[in-house]
Amino acid sequence: MQNMRGMSTLPVLLTVVAVIALFLLPNFVESTYALHIMILIFISVIMGSGWNILGGYTGQYSVGHAAYFGVGAYTTIVLMQYQHIAPWYGVWAGILVAVAIALIIGSICFRLRGPYFVLASIAVAEIFRVTALNLKKLTNGAEGILITDIPPFKIGDIVITDFMSKIPFYYIGLVTLIIAIIVTWLLQNSKLGYYFQAIREDQDAAHSLGINLTVYKNVALAFSVVFTSLAGSLYGLYVGFIDPTTVLALDLSVQIVMICIIGGIGTIFGPVIGAVVLVPFSEALRSNMIAQALIDSGLVNENSGVGTFLKEQLSHAHVLIYGILLVVVILFMPDGILGFIRKKLSAKQRKEAI
Amino acid sequence: MAVFLQSMISGILIGGVYALIGIGLTIIFGVMRVINFAHGDLLMIGMYMTYFLFALLHIDPFVSIIVTIPMMFLFGAFLQKVFINRVLGALPQNQILLTIGMGLVMSNAVMLAFTSDYKILSTTYSSASFNILGISISSPLLISFAITIAITLALYWFLYRTDTGQAIRATAQDRDAAQLMGINVKRMSIIAFGMGAALAGTAGALISPTYYIFPQVGSVFTLKAFVITVLGGMGSIVGATLGGVIIGVAESVGGVYFGSGWKDVIVFILFLLVLLFKPSGLLGTSKD
Repeated sequence: MQNMRGMSTLPVLLTVVAVIALFLLPNFVESTYALHIMILIFISVIMGSGWNILGGYTGQYSVGHAAYFGVGAYTTIVLMQYQHIAPWYGVWAGILVAVAIALIIGSICFRLRGPYFVLASIAVAEIFRVTALNLKKLTNGAEGILITDIPPFKIGDIVITDFMSKIPFYYIGLVTLIIAIIVTWLLQNSKLGYYFQAIREDQDAAHSLGINLTVYKNVALAFSVVFTSLAGSLYGLYVGFIDPTTVLALDLSVQIVMICIIGGIGTIFGPVIGAVVLVPFSEALRSNMIAQALIDSGLVNENSGVGTFLKEQLSHAHVLIYGILLVVVILFMPDGILGFIRKKLSAKQRKEAI
Repeated sequence: MAVFLQSMISGILIGGVYALIGIGLTIIFGVMRVINFAHGDLLMIGMYMTYFLFALLHIDPFVSIIVTIPMMFLFGAFLQKVFINRVLGALPQNQILLTIGMGLVMSNAVMLAFTSDYKILSTTYSSASFNILGISISSPLLISFAITIAITLALYWFLYRTDTGQAIRATAQDRDAAQLMGINVKRMSIIAFGMGAALAGTAGALISPTYYIFPQVGSVFTLKAFVITVLGGMGSIVGATLGGVIIGVAESVGGVYFGSGWKDVIVFILFLLVLLFKPSGLLGTSKD
């Protein structure tokens, strides 16, 4: 049961069922905390998918994507807070600004390769962070910008949503995520996508076949930045506060890469798996659920030294888990979870064939 | 003019420490072609070691490097043997991500153990300074500069005059050829990472009397170490020494004339310019 694009019917069916379930989910789930986690996962998938187009399919490992996340977030929110431009217009402005900046940076940095490109991307993101810290008039510096309120979204006189609950963010995130995945899928099977993958496999060979490296790397970057910037705007609007150390930090750039690495880079659903693994795990640590669970299970005495230590400190450790996961994945599953499973499956099939 | 001279001199003094950080990174890169993103975190561990040696055993930070250097060497050798060795043949991107992961583990493990509070190591001479011709020179910076010079000279002697040093340089020049000549390149890699870690740790020890000590301090120095090594030429030890001093001066002078908030931007722009126009660095020869 294979159609011409090499997709069997079962995964397609499963995806459709999953999407329908996700659309219906807010009707059944009362807990705002569950919705909160879902929204964070959606945002992570969107930014991961964005990075995946450049890093996974085109092989350009940018460790500076926080720059575009931050530019998107800052543009949308500065326009809304100070110019009273509604975010559903501001988001597009954010994308435009981020893509314009990305293309300038891209045409400069894409002549660098391998580790040198990685270093340059980090330097660029750091320049943005320090600039945002220093341009106090525009960005309010290290204090960040607190969103006072988002104007209600109206069509005609009918108020569609006033953004008071988490539900609108849930659906905006979900729809954007689906668009990101569809775009990735379309790209993967298009001529453009083949150019990207040719560049990833062997730049010099691709070049000798007549693929203009700088042009197509920039095209990949533009696609990538659209989603990264969208994720940034969405994050800023949802959380209601941005500052340079959250939306422009090196940690965020690393996190974006990790979502893809852990899931499996250069695969459509890699970022989904990465986000589904990473986000709940780090949120559970951050909100002290794991420490509490250890104490409740009786493994650790609450009043003992270890108990108080875990309660006070484990919530700060979510980045530690990122680090450990990153090391484990690189050492033992360099193709990510998805690649690891695929390898195991095909090994099993081969065994059965014999 | 006095301001300019003043900032030049403090730039050169701190540049000595930067040189140590850069040399460590460049040795690792030269021998293994791995860019160590955990370099700043090794420095941070050196800082904490120095802090606790001082706080618990009252060992002077400048004396404590006798303990810090061998400990950091062993730690680096361990990291090389257990982690880095496994990815030597892997994609450079994966090597980078591995070292990023190691760095995250180190900084967050330290945060978990000692909280993220700033620690200050204050010695009797922490803020001491003296005047020469109207220019004030910070005593701890001057002492650390003197130690830096001694260590750098010892390092040059080791790399150029001893058999092991020559073997390390040969491995850096051509790993395969060195192996064919009977050099144990795996062992050289372990020594190289150990040395890199020891140098980073020493730099951490030397700056601990004048810097805040906190778990995330490393990332700033990791970035600086890249700038220094790229500036001097990846793999070039003389280049890294020179690069360290140049970055020290650029920061210090730039900070005076553009405001200290912008000094990092100046350094990064310098970095991008070098990457773009002379990616082989001031003294490097491009081999890739």
